[in-house]
Amino acid sequence: MTVIESRSPTPMPLLRAASIGAFIVLGFFLPRLLGGTSVAYSTLTTIAIFAVMCYGVDVVLSYLGEVSLGHTLFWAIGGYAAANLSTKYGLDGWSTALATIALCLAAAAFLGAVTLRTREFVFSLVTYAAAVVAYEIAFNWDAIGGSDGIVGIPPLTLPLVATSFSAATQEDLWPVSFVLLLLTLGLIARFRYSRLGTVALMAQMNPALAASLGVDPRRVRLAVFVISAPITGLAGWLYAYQRAYVGPDMFESYFLVMMLTAVVLVGRRVLIGPLVGTALLVAQQNLFSLGGDWNKIVLGSVLALVLIFWPTGLVGLYRRFSKR
Amino acid sequence: MNVAQQIVNGIVLGSGYACIALGWTILLGVARLVNFAHGQLYMLGAFVTWFATSKAGLPYPLAIAAAVAVLSALGLLMQSAMMRLVMTQNLTSLMIVTLGIGYVLQGGSALIFGGNPQTLPGTLSRAKVDLGPLWFTWQDVLVLIVTIALYAAVWLFTQRTRYGSVIRAVAEDPKLAELFGINARIVYLLVFVFECSAVALGAALVAPRSPILTSMGFNEVIMTFVVVVLGGIGSIGGALAAGLGLGLFTAFFGAFVAQAYTTAAAFALLLALLVIRPAGLATK
Amino acid sequence: MNRTTKLAFAMLLGLTAPAMAQDIKVGTIFPLSGGAGPDGQTVTNAVKLMVQQINDKGGLLGRKLTVVSKDDESTPAVGVSRANEMIAEKADVVIEGWNSPVTLAMQPILARAGIMDITAVSKSDLILNGQSNPYAVRINSSNGFDAAVIAKYIVETLKAKKVAFLTQNDVYGNGFQSAVEAEFKNLNFSGEVVMTEKFAFKDTDFRVQLTNLKGANPDAIIVTNASNSSGLPAMVEQYRQADIKSAFVGAVGIMLTTVFKVAGDANNGIVSADIFFPDLPPFTTMPESTAFVAAYKKAYGVDPDKSAALGAAAVQVWAQAVESTKSLDRKTVAEAIRGKTIKGTVFGDAQFLPNGQMQPRYVVFKVVDGKNAKLEALR
Repeated sequence: MTVIESRSPTPMPLLRAASIGAFIVLGFFLPRLLGGTSVAYSTLTTIAIFAVMCYGVDVVLSYLGEVSLGHTLFWAIGGYAAANLSTKYGLDGWSTALATIALCLAAAAFLGAVTLRTREFVFSLVTYAAAVVAYEIAFNWDAIGGSDGIVGIPPLTLPLVATSFSAATQEDLWPVSFVLLLLTLGLIARFRYSRLGTVALMAQMNPALAASLGVDPRRVRLAVFVISAPITGLAGWLYAYQRAYVGPDMFESYFLVMMLTAVVLVGRRVLIGPLVGTALLVAQQNLFSLGGDWNKIVLGSVLALVLIFWPTGLVGLYRRFSKR
Repeated sequence: MNVAQQIVNGIVLGSGYACIALGWTILLGVARLVNFAHGQLYMLGAFVTWFATSKAGLPYPLAIAAAVAVLSALGLLMQSAMMRLVMTQNLTSLMIVTLGIGYVLQGGSALIFGGNPQTLPGTLSRAKVDLGPLWFTWQDVLVLIVTIALYAAVWLFTQRTRYGSVIRAVAEDPKLAELFGINARIVYLLVFVFECSAVALGAALVAPRSPILTSMGFNEVIMTFVVVVLGGIGSIGGALAAGLGLGLFTAFFGAFVAQAYTTAAAFALLLALLVIRPAGLATK
Repeated sequence: MNRTTKLAFAMLLGLTAPAMAQDIKVGTIFPLSGGAGPDGQTVTNAVKLMVQQINDKGGLLGRKLTVVSKDDESTPAVGVSRANEMIAEKADVVIEGWNSPVTLAMQPILARAGIMDITAVSKSDLILNGQSNPYAVRINSSNGFDAAVIAKYIVETLKAKKVAFLTQNDVYGNGFQSAVEAEFKNLNFSGEVVMTEKFAFKDTDFRVQLTNLKGANPDAIIVTNASNSSGLPAMVEQYRQADIKSAFVGAVGIMLTTVFKVAGDANNGIVSADIFFPDLPPFTTMPESTAFVAAYKKAYGVDPDKSAALGAAAVQVWAQAVESTKSLDRKTVAEAIRGKTIKGTVFGDAQFLPNGQMQPRYVVFKVVDGKNAKLEALR
């Protein structure tokens, strides 16, 4: 089981820094190692984007112990912000990303404030309700896309001081998604050892102790929830550019179940857990697809079986076997 | 504007919502368990009823019994598998597990029953009652009567019998209840089996109103959420009132404002209520 | 798919891959599971049948055709994955599209990879606006032409004075309604629209709207409802139960097989229009059409419906364009279709507008025996 580790990040030994560096380099060139085809690039880009999407849910599930069924809302906010602002006002990637972050923070602050005193299933229901309301608005409001959504999203442009970057193909999007993934991993790694991260875990696992230390659990909950939103939101932002089309389908339970499964599959509070989970799920659906109905059965039973038999996920399973 | 007919429509819709929500109300309110597979169980209940009548040739009442039996067995299986999570009150995991089971049920039913729409041979749902300018069907009457009778029976059972207090004791603290000689596992099993058979009954009664598909269940579970939370989690009378109220709200909102936004409006109502009095709607 | 996995796959499949590399690949992406699964299977089956017929005649450009069919699960995100797989498998043409959002999501992916993309069914106007795919081709009729047919029937044949709309509240439904209203203006319609009631695609209970409509008592109610497997048949039954006297005029193409199967005789009296019928003129007098109906019935045991005809026509149109240009190149093939006439399809001689839209022949019909899906042509 998990122990609350209160140590601050230790200064990295050279070996550790080198191995992380090697992983980053290896990761960056992974699509080329896998043949360098546009399909390799697009599949890995999708995995990176979905993984970032899952990290938002991971923060809430792992550190608050709550199931957010409303993160598709933030995912869609990212997509709709990118689609609307780039097609209608010609804004570049930086501006749409900033808008995504701002809108996600605002929406999460509102939703977090509303659900402040709710816990467990009521929290889940209310976050779900918020996503349903947002879905109906997006579906019915033609000004932001309506039921057919928005087509013709231009390639992602990220003008830098000296140079201008434009991602017209899947190959060009890969570095962006890879950097976004690294930033997310970095953020999550820092969050684990931050004051907020440890306090949140304490409030979840031992509320009495947290209260005696003067922690306001509601403030912690709100802070963690608000932080989680832009992570999923930025994934949706990049997804809009990758797909060049955004529609109300971004609220679909496909993404919701993907988020939850990816997080619980490998194990909660494992840094690369959601990444590995996403990769496994996308690989199953793309390479070993058994047809829509069977894919549902596979996804659903993975979710159920893992939590029933190995609540600590694949990592827990591995630990159990390696101890024997 | 035919207000009287819209009231009838509202009661018809509302009794359906309440009927489907009964199982969840008990599960959530009395035993504090959740089941996100509720919508898919509804779908399965409807399809078992369809299979029993159309393929096996059973009369409607026997088909209802068959649906209840099959779903009870399924409930027994599900709850046995989830027992460890239930006993440790791991509600977070339970939510996700039931969500996963819902997915499995949906995929599995699509494989077994196919993707084609089916209709339950509802003799009653096609038997129309004309009351002056008003109309409804005998099926609607049946749903209303059964719903009210079931809610009354469940209320009497949980409030007026010893078993009711046993269940509530288990919900309060399963470990402590076991110290007093109550077998908490059996109690949880029975409550869960009741939830599954109640949703089967609801499906057998409500589903004949419209064609059934294996992909359905989403709408039903959404409305169930609203009914249960609006009714004040676990309050049996509250859920019945909330179900009927939601039906009337749907009818009048649809008739006078905009039918396309009713789901959103119902949920917005729920959110607003949670802001105004969160304590009343949070865990009991 | 990358090279290593491909290699692994090839070994798994007993190294059959190289032998198939000579074949021309016809990809299909339709929903094969879930609520729209049966519809998608119908279109896919029709494509397979047409490809089989071409192979029986010796193939195309001297090469055999193979069909690669995939399931989009009615989910745009899944459709995108399937489109990427088509690129990996080097499909020469992809015939796709039951749900508009799925088509809209797949279009840019296929277009970027330079794969010829024919939309069989999806009706959104955005598909043909050229932003995602400058070489788009669509077989199914568009809302604009559909609306003209229905408006003309209401104004000139039915001579209705009071009209109401019962409209699916999305781009498809609202777009159809506004197109009909625009046509009313063109036709100098002297009557009025007395009421508009809307509902969501997923709805199955329409008592509330029907009660309002009954109160307004119009001469005709124009119904748009694309939920052919649950919403529309439920609506038809409730319409009869509510005992509404107004004529039920269905938008073009909504009366699919499932509606007759589920709602049966409640459909009697409904007036609607469509672009293909196995048993109504002019299709019963077209040799290409009757041959297709006979072959389809022989292969699958049922009459082909409009969806099947759309799938078959997609193959025919593409194959003729390939044959005439001796090329599989997307631009070349598309330019041989867009703005041109393709002879001898199941729809007869099919004319295409410059934007890639096929111009269909409409038949306005009345349902006379819903249980057996018997129709009577009105013109």
